[in-house]
Amino acid sequence: MNASGIKLGLGLYTTLFIVFLYGPLVVLAILSFQTGPEGGPQFPIIEWSTYWYKHLFGLTPPSRIAPLPIEQALVRSLALAVMTMIVSTVLGVTAAQAFRKKFRGSGVVFYLIVLGMMVPGVLVGLGMALVANTLGVDRHWWGTAFVLHVVYTFPFAFLVMLAIFNRFDPSVEEAAWSLGVTPARTFRKITFPLIFPGVLSAMLFAFTLSYDEFSRTLFASGRDLTLPLAIYGTFSVEVHPNVFAFGVLTTLFSFALLGTYAVLMGLSVRRAKRMAIQEEA
Amino acid sequence: MSAVLQLKNVHKAFAGVPALAGVDAALMDNSYVSLLGPSGSGKTTLLRVIAGFEQPDGGEILFAGRRIDGVPPHERGIGFVFQNFALFPHLSVAQNIAFGLENRAVAPVTDAKAVTARVRDMIGLVGLTGLEDRAVTQISGGQKQRVALARTLVTEPSMVLLDEPLGALDANLRTRMRGELRTIRERCGVTFLHVTGSETEALAMGDTVLVLDRGRIAQATDAGTLYSRPASADVARFLNCYNIFSGAVSGNVFESPVGRLALGGVRQASGRPAYAIRYDRVAIRPRDAAAAGDEVRIEASFVASEYSGAAINSFFTLDDGRVFEVETHLSHAAPEAFEEKARYALVWKREDALVFV
Ligand SMILES: Nc1ncnc2c1ncn2[C@@H]1O[C@H](COP(=O)(O)OP(=O)(O)OP(=O)(O)O)[C@@H](O)[C@H]1O
Ligand SMILES: [Mg+2]
Repeated sequence: MNASGIKLGLGLYTTLFIVFLYGPLVVLAILSFQTGPEGGPQFPIIEWSTYWYKHLFGLTPPSRIAPLPIEQALVRSLALAVMTMIVSTVLGVTAAQAFRKKFRGSGVVFYLIVLGMMVPGVLVGLGMALVANTLGVDRHWWGTAFVLHVVYTFPFAFLVMLAIFNRFDPSVEEAAWSLGVTPARTFRKITFPLIFPGVLSAMLFAFTLSYDEFSRTLFASGRDLTLPLAIYGTFSVEVHPNVFAFGVLTTLFSFALLGTYAVLMGLSVRRAKRMAIQEEA
Repeated sequence: MSAVLQLKNVHKAFAGVPALAGVDAALMDNSYVSLLGPSGSGKTTLLRVIAGFEQPDGGEILFAGRRIDGVPPHERGIGFVFQNFALFPHLSVAQNIAFGLENRAVAPVTDAKAVTARVRDMIGLVGLTGLEDRAVTQISGGQKQRVALARTLVTEPSMVLLDEPLGALDANLRTRMRGELRTIRERCGVTFLHVTGSETEALAMGDTVLVLDRGRIAQATDAGTLYSRPASADVARFLNCYNIFSGAVSGNVFESPVGRLALGGVRQASGRPAYAIRYDRVAIRPRDAAAAGDEVRIEASFVASEYSGAAINSFFTLDDGRVFEVETHLSHAAPEAFEEKARYALVWKREDALVFV
């Protein structure tokens, strides 16, 4: 095959990839602007309107369609994701730090940690529910489900940090020690700033994985639902475009999150360059 | 002068393979010590053990009279300059140099003005003025080297360990930095222990040269003595300026693979018998020239010669196929043209040879 053929193939592949990635989102976004309350979740668009967005925030006159019961679920999911993010990232960083030195049984511990992201979520969730019942522990999103979220996301944070430490030159830490700086302070002033981009990635992983975790949460969260469960719950009744409107909003939120990540990342990477530019100016 | 650092029978093995096999040494206060040894002889390991980055398996390390094996690195007060410099990439030149002063556990300098003043002095001393705010990723190799040195010296350690500090620099810069390192050390009054794989660097820089061989100190002496009186054939080999023959002494001759060499000078006890003659003690004569009574003469075929500044090195092959090197200083004679593959007589005075028994 010649070069332009390869280019064409790759271009086609990329286009298909993007279509499959964003196609559903685009359909969702279009349908969210369906008129309400009589318009349904299908084409054609009868009339463009922002009715379902208003409906979402309770700004429409009462109708036969109940508002989405997701407000509390959203708060819960965000809180759960933040908690999970913090705990998993801290655990991931410290565990990866521990793995920088070979210790006895490190191989076994490694696979035990990584197993947390491999085992089927439904099974783990069910198992957790059984354990909780046996022990007489109440199931809550902030309890049993939280533990499972950490078990699930911690390996991701751990692997990200492991890759970061792999490329980390330990002689800068030794240099700091030889200047009389304690290991703890060295970690804070030297190691942490240098691994910070990795920490950000680990945080992003943990947050997003927890935020839309479904299978583990299904059995382990008890009575109060998280967002993915609440949305799924609405499907079992009747689907209205307000779910799509909500989907668009959460997607925008995710983009904002990614944007923040990119900005923070860019800042930490560009720091050095900026100093050089000031120097030349 | 007293010893600032003493090593007593220091051992270190990696997975059962010894890297340090009983190192004994004493380093004088306020001196420049070079540590010379071939690759893999344990130089880096020794430095890392002294700095506390590695724990020795056995032996004692005394620093300023205090036993320090087991003391964590940050409590030792020994500076370390890495071969790859190990600068803090997220900090500027000035911040790198200020880091130790501001963050050390013992007597940190909290007054920003005092820090700035000391950093400024140190930047002046190592010749980095004007680069204070530059990122360390944006400076040259030689400048990085100076930052690494300044960062260590500003904390006023009583000893600095340097692991091949000039290894990453080009030849020109290396020569210049040699002189600067010596001057800076003299001004600070600290002891430098400078690891190098280059014999010229070790001889040029060290007040004392330690030769490390297979995890042991093979010789510790001043540069002049080392150059003219290596303690063993192995040390002579690292110096890269001796032709060495193995063999055995029998009566008044040394039985070597190229024939019997008459003995005249002193004989030194060392584990293995060997005969060594320095490159620059050998004269090249026409084949038919006769040797004087106090001279040793062998024959060899000329291969090639190589100019190195003020000297010319000529290479010959001996009858057993080994290479014999002769260094002729051009101030002594105009360069002669030798004929390739032609036979010449190589002659030296009996007492110039070193004989190890
Ligand atoms: N971390 C380590 N693990 C295992 N073996 C090691 C380790 N560090 C060094 N060694 C071994 O110990 C011996 C001495 O190594 P060292 O790095 O001290 O040599 P060196 O004299 O500094 O050599 P070079 O001039 O090449 O830097 C070598 O045989 C090396 O393979
Ligand atoms: Mg080394």
